[in-house]
Amino acid sequence: MTRFLAKRIGQALVVVALVTVIVFLLLHTVPGGPARGILGPQATAAAIAAFNHEHGFDRSLPEQYWMYVSGLLHGDLGASYTLNQSVSSLIEQRIPKTLVLTGLSTLVALLVAIPLGVWQGRRRKGLTDYFITTLVFIGYATPVFFLALILVIVFAEKIPILPVQAPQAETLAGLFADSRGLVLPILAGAIASVAVFSRYMRSAVLDNLAEDYVRTARAKGASERRVVWLHIMRNSLTPIVAMLGYQLPVLFSGALVIESVFNYPGMGLLFWNAAQTSDYPILLGAVLVIAVATVIGSLIADILQAFIDPRVRGAIK
Amino acid sequence: MTESPALAIKDLRVTFGDTVRAVDGVSVEVRPGEIVAVVGESGSGKSVTSMSTLGLLPPTAEVSGVIQVGGVDVTALDGAGLRAIRGAEVAMVFQEPMTALNPAFTVGWQVAEALRLHFADMSKKRAYERAAELLEMVGIQDAKRRLGQFPHELSGGLRQRVMIAMAIACEPKVLIADEATTALDVTVQAEILDLLRDLRAELGMAILVITHNMGVVADIADRVVVMYQGKVVEQATVEDLFARPQAEYTRRLLTSVPRLERGAHRARARTALREPGQAAAGTPALALSDLVVEFRGERGSKVRAVDEVSLTIGAGEVVGLVGESGSGKSTVGRTAIGLIKPASGSVRLLGESLTGAKGRDLRRLRRRCSIVFQDPASSLDPRMTVGDCIAEPLIINKIGDRDDRVAALLKSVRLDPSVRARYPHELSGGQRQRIGIARAIALDPELVIADEPTSALDVSVQATVLDLFLELQDRLGFACLFITHDLAVVGLVADRVAVMNSGRLVEEGPREEVLFDPREDYTRRLVASAPVPDPAAQRERRAQRLSL
Repeated sequence: MTRFLAKRIGQALVVVALVTVIVFLLLHTVPGGPARGILGPQATAAAIAAFNHEHGFDRSLPEQYWMYVSGLLHGDLGASYTLNQSVSSLIEQRIPKTLVLTGLSTLVALLVAIPLGVWQGRRRKGLTDYFITTLVFIGYATPVFFLALILVIVFAEKIPILPVQAPQAETLAGLFADSRGLVLPILAGAIASVAVFSRYMRSAVLDNLAEDYVRTARAKGASERRVVWLHIMRNSLTPIVAMLGYQLPVLFSGALVIESVFNYPGMGLLFWNAAQTSDYPILLGAVLVIAVATVIGSLIADILQAFIDPRVRGAIK
Repeated sequence: MTESPALAIKDLRVTFGDTVRAVDGVSVEVRPGEIVAVVGESGSGKSVTSMSTLGLLPPTAEVSGVIQVGGVDVTALDGAGLRAIRGAEVAMVFQEPMTALNPAFTVGWQVAEALRLHFADMSKKRAYERAAELLEMVGIQDAKRRLGQFPHELSGGLRQRVMIAMAIACEPKVLIADEATTALDVTVQAEILDLLRDLRAELGMAILVITHNMGVVADIADRVVVMYQGKVVEQATVEDLFARPQAEYTRRLLTSVPRLERGAHRARARTALREPGQAAAGTPALALSDLVVEFRGERGSKVRAVDEVSLTIGAGEVVGLVGESGSGKSTVGRTAIGLIKPASGSVRLLGESLTGAKGRDLRRLRRRCSIVFQDPASSLDPRMTVGDCIAEPLIINKIGDRDDRVAALLKSVRLDPSVRARYPHELSGGQRQRIGIARAIALDPELVIADEPTSALDVSVQATVLDLFLELQDRLGFACLFITHDLAVVGLVADRVAVMNSGRLVEEGPREEVLFDPREDYTRRLVASAPVPDPAAQRERRAQRLSL
């Protein structure tokens, strides 16, 4: 296991290193360079040269990359051009809130999707299966921003039982103190994920229902409920867990939209605002953080999978 | 005859939908302590019959008739009533022990589950203790440790023993073994059959064995029920059935079964074949020397699949390569025509070195040999018509006149040229394998590698395909490496036989010598384990094997 972990962490480090290179290069592909982006098209050549010199953009690329990386290693992601704060402190403030949002909406999605998928798998081709499939597909096909708007219209305007805006508290405790405000953002995030997870679960259950071990369990005298919720469940969870890790970037991009619709003070909103003000250090810092999160996410998914599937466990001993 | 039957199936009929009548008026009785074999080819309804005794058929099946277990009619039971019978009164062992066990739970958990489902008051600890006893009972050593292992950590034979332990956990009155030894190697099959015999003696169970293998029937059955197209065509004691088959179908079935006997060999029309010693004189079709093939195993370690194998096949000669699963025989076949690169050693194909050949040379060499795979269903492209499949090698090698050639090839494998427009899924298994053969001979090869070409087929189909293959071999005179696990088939087709065991060539020589007078212990055990379709002879062989 330690061998496996060491190997996987090594791989993860390589991926992260590559990401820093890509992010760094992205910074330099901005038309006219970051100076143009910040100072605007009307800036004089002298102003741009001064800006470039101030930020070290007039040095050679490898030199700049080295500065960038050594900054990263010290936890320095640069400073925001517009918010007068360091990027790392901004991300530090925002990331727990986004984790709460995405974590809770994933949890809700799984709690709904797993039983739903199992239930559909068992009643395949029934009227209810078709009905739920239709609903799920609609949920899947609806853009998140549109879904969020519908939720707002229905639950905040037509039937005003929930607030339109997410809680604006600075701290996590403050966030939970106003938990009613969390309901709509979480719901908006969960609905799209329910679609994905329940489809996976449904097809995994269908595949497993046809397996020989199911026949063995029935031949032993196990009840249908036991066969499904014990024998099949364990084997059907593997694809879901494998997917969870790769779902992370998707969740973040969902958070981007949801946070801007509900004005939720997380990473997504930070990113959204930075994109509008061309605040490149924030954008690149966020991309880097998300990339690292994705790598960690898939690592965790692999480890979880080993816990569920003894064959994977055996292979990574 | 006085004892009441443990299992009595009366006039069972099973239909799927309105049209498919899978089982049509079947009646079978099994008395306590008796082993009854239900034998038949695929589609005969034997498995449907066995599944219906536990109510395990899918809901689309319509069942009528009576199935009595210890006097209780199973067909009249509801869910809970059925579950009380399943595992407790009637237990089943299935074909594929790898997939029949749940991969996510330990062996101990699964055996304990079988117990706890029926003894509600049994503690977990007690169930595990009993599970260990059961594993010991089915001949698994070190049972305590095995309890904590997962199915994928066990060999096929051990897994099947676990399945049997699970089946006998509640001491059922009836044990149904549905092709329980089909997926196993012959030596393991022999052990499992011994185990079933012992358990019958110990527990006095009634055992229903479902099989397509006449050798297994001869080995284990007291009585035999022959099924064909959903009907019972004959029921007799095992001695009577083999000595005096009554039904036309039974007779046909028995003649189709290849026999491992001294005289049972093809009559070769060609006299061109040289004696084995002389084969080396001309240019051999295939010469392997000190061949080593390695695969990457766990933790980067290397697993030797083929270990210093040297083998020569003369022009026009058929060499049978036999061995159990994992012995490396298929790897040898694939390496021989360059599909796998050897780690060391050399392959000489038709007098030229294949190991160093590249690009055009390699293609030119490959053109002169071909391969027939085991499963025709998966080795033909499902999106290509039969005609296109056969024509592909012609197209690749830019040979004109394809239409006529494809028609001629189809005729030579005894198929109507009109099937060229059909797709593989529209054909039967036997027809598909003939297409595979037609494709293999399309370029008039000098060497054909036949990798278990008849193993996926029913015996009667196997007989016709083998017959066809031999006729073609005779006519076209290609040399052949015939890879199979079936000793009787090898006895029928091969001039010389090579035996492999865990990557090594154990023994090699003329057919008569290797099969009937083997030098090596391993070969002796292998030959003795293959059941022959003759109860009296099989009894003798069993005694011999147990004394080995």
